[in-house]
Amino acid sequence: MTMYAPRSVTELQALVLDSERIHVIGNGSKPALHCAVNGAAIVDLSGMSGIIEYQPAEYTATVRAGAPVRELSAALREKGQYLPFDPLLPEAATIGGTVASNLSGSRRFRYGGVRDFILGAQVVDGEGRAFGVGGKVVKNSAGFDLSKFLVGSMGKYAIMTELTFKVFPDVPRFRSLGFHYEELEEALSAIYFINQSAYELDALDLAPPSVHPINRGKKNGNWMLLARLAGFDDTLPRRVERFTAAMTRDTATIRVEELHDSAALWNPLADLTGEFLVKVVIPPKQLPAFDALIAHNRRRYSVGGNIAWAATDDIAQLDTALTSCGLTGLCLSGAVDSALIGVPIDNALAERVKQVLDPLGKLV
Amino acid sequence: MMNRGILQALQKIYPADRLLTRDVELLPYESDALTAFNAKPGAVVLPVNEEEIIDTVRLCHQLALPFVARGSGTSLSGGSLPIPEGLTIGLNRLNRIKKIDPLQRIAVVEPGVINLHITEAAQPYGLYYAPDPSSQSICTIGGNIAFNSGGAHCLKYGMTSNHVLAMKVVLADGTVTRFGGESVDGVGIGPDLVGLFVGSEGLFGIALEITVRLMPQPELYQTVLAAYDDLGRAGDAVSMVVASGLLPGAMEIMDRLAIKAAEASVSAGYPDAEALLIVELEGEALQVEAEFEQLLGIIEKSSAIEVRVAQNEEERTRIWKGRKGAFSAVGRLSPDYIVQDGVVPRSRLGEALVEIGALKDKYQLDVANVFHAGDGNLHPLILYDGREAGALERAEALAGEILALCISLGGSITGEHGIGMEKRDYLPAMFSEEEIDIMEGLRRAIDPNEIANRGKMFPGGEAPALSQHGVHPLERAGLISRE
Ligand SMILES: Cc1cc2nc3c(=O)[nH]c(=O)nc-3n(C[C@H](O)[C@H](O)[C@H](O)COP(=O)(O)OP(=O)(O)OC[C@H]3O[C@@H](n4cnc5c(N)ncnc54)[C@H](O)[C@@H]3O)c2cc1C
Repeated sequence: MTMYAPRSVTELQALVLDSERIHVIGNGSKPALHCAVNGAAIVDLSGMSGIIEYQPAEYTATVRAGAPVRELSAALREKGQYLPFDPLLPEAATIGGTVASNLSGSRRFRYGGVRDFILGAQVVDGEGRAFGVGGKVVKNSAGFDLSKFLVGSMGKYAIMTELTFKVFPDVPRFRSLGFHYEELEEALSAIYFINQSAYELDALDLAPPSVHPINRGKKNGNWMLLARLAGFDDTLPRRVERFTAAMTRDTATIRVEELHDSAALWNPLADLTGEFLVKVVIPPKQLPAFDALIAHNRRRYSVGGNIAWAATDDIAQLDTALTSCGLTGLCLSGAVDSALIGVPIDNALAERVKQVLDPLGKLV
Repeated sequence: MMNRGILQALQKIYPADRLLTRDVELLPYESDALTAFNAKPGAVVLPVNEEEIIDTVRLCHQLALPFVARGSGTSLSGGSLPIPEGLTIGLNRLNRIKKIDPLQRIAVVEPGVINLHITEAAQPYGLYYAPDPSSQSICTIGGNIAFNSGGAHCLKYGMTSNHVLAMKVVLADGTVTRFGGESVDGVGIGPDLVGLFVGSEGLFGIALEITVRLMPQPELYQTVLAAYDDLGRAGDAVSMVVASGLLPGAMEIMDRLAIKAAEASVSAGYPDAEALLIVELEGEALQVEAEFEQLLGIIEKSSAIEVRVAQNEEERTRIWKGRKGAFSAVGRLSPDYIVQDGVVPRSRLGEALVEIGALKDKYQLDVANVFHAGDGNLHPLILYDGREAGALERAEALAGEILALCISLGGSITGEHGIGMEKRDYLPAMFSEEEIDIMEGLRRAIDPNEIANRGKMFPGGEAPALSQHGVHPLERAGLISRE
């Protein structure tokens, strides 16, 4: 295995032209995405780092793909802004890796995911061509939107070297609440209630019994619905009160408690230990059926129950569960042949892009 | 007239009343809302289900027959302009809302569903479909997808693309494919194919079924209208709002001519001023109330000459009616107009407006400005009289200079109306030859015969006729009015 660390687009282009197979890593924070690349030249983009342009007044920021997420987040925080798609691994990941694998944390709930905040990119494709896609302003509909296509593209179509995002102003205060339910169905009903209400939550996750630290250790613990409200000092307390009153309007809720709002609480992976860590995109309605099949695993249902994170030592079993539910999973850690498990994705359109950007199949 | 063999093949799919070939039947389809152009299609077909669309696209692929999908024909960039002698596939009859799922907050719709109808169907559940182009009571979701359409309220929650979770499409070569799902994460795993398809201007194929996300209706809207004696000051007010950290649902500006037009057409009761700024906050009542106080403080400091706060839903509706009706209202001031759609970085709005002012003097044409100030998306409406020799050409030249201006300020030639037929020659001003090559390569990888919406988006190719003057064909036929 040969490692390369290009420091410029030109070096990267030369590398692509000289290699038969190329595989990109950001910071290697999601090892399973780098399986099955034997023989490929490994490209480490951490040498192409740094913020290129950040214009708080435009709500836009342009960074090199190898830049650590935390560097960009810190710059934004200084101006009271943030990346609303909430990079899943704020400490370990690079920006490029976050986009390529499309990994959002719980705060994705409020405004949307990576796809909703990417504006443009500079890339090097499998032919060694360096070019731009999308734009740099918050609104632009000229040409095909290949920048959104890059989200989740796993480095297989083009190597991102530079990314432009839309950013938003952040709020200063957060309050986190935990609502306890005996059954998943009850917690799900609460999610549905919130879905149709006008309460604007910053994040909404569901932690199964015995998984969340707060539940752990207790026998027959409850499902805990974690809700986070964000805002300003003057109204937040009253909003929390109103929301709590609405949520406890009937008796389904056993208990409400205020939780210490922390990064750990809102890290959906915090307590997920296991050889394999998997992201599953799931419509909330399928949660009960899916959960019944993986109830022995550590898991968390994030983003209002629309993204499942599951840890397991038995990837085959999870694969079977996903398949029987018609779902697809993306494996982030553990040794697997392919990072994709469960139901295969219909790739007809993506294959056309591959023919154009990487006809020789160099990018793996 | 279309070749006999082709017609016979189409007759196998369509009964006579849904296969239009006579001149009088084709007339309403000759142009879209870019009325300066028109072209006669070889035929128009009106499918009623997705099987018919798929069969039609496959037939077109087989025969290398160019086709254009058409929703309501309200494209402002000539996107739904017929391809001369090609096939127009009218999708208005695929107008079923297949499912509203209030629990998961999604709707599944056919492509011909009118944008506003989704909101109407979702309303009983306290939900709505967010993207709100001013044409929302007539344009279709299929058309919205083709252009990634936006509206006044796209600042916070994004444009069409941000609200589409899944699609079933037939690609131009007849391949039927699906992507995305009912999770709010959409495609979620693998390249974002929804994101790629949305905005492809009908060049990739036809959207057959679309899953959109719905949003809960905000508990409270607070809307303020501020008048300024200078357009630049209105622009400065926008910068002040942005700098304050507030995130309004909408921030819109209209200049004197646009105000005058809106007044004449809907009597919105706007103040007499050089510029009007509308800012709207939306969300949880407690939060909005607090933020609105802050907003009013900013507006007060912005040297507004008059400030009005909508006291109730009726007043709010009236403020928006003037803004949303501005395009059509301007149409009353002038026999013809071209709408531009360039984007500039928000901080350079002032510069752009001053330049546009100078350009309109240079070309001796009136320009009304209505724009999405929050995201720097300009909509200069260039007024001209098509009966006057050379007027259209002058208007087009002015439009071209505005686009060049947007690019030179670091923006884009289109924020939401698309390249279409109208701006295809400006694509090279935004993208390098290699970038255009790559996009064309992608188009050919999907559509080797280049039949889907041939002649649009990419420079060159045969151009439909420029007509001297004209109202929208549907308008001429008495089917729509500009209200
Ligand atoms: C008065 C007025 C106000 C407007 N205001 C706005 C505004 O505020 N914001 C905005 O963004 N736009 C606005 N528009 C422009 C226009 O309404 C939008 O572009 C709209 O999305 C077009 O929808 P349509 O159904 O009329 O599409 P059409 O004009 O029929 O078609 C537009 C394009 O979509 C393609 N298409 C149609 N259906 C499909 C499908 N199922 N699959 C793939 N491609 C398809 C067509 O081939 C064509 O290229 C306005 C237009 C007018 C006339």
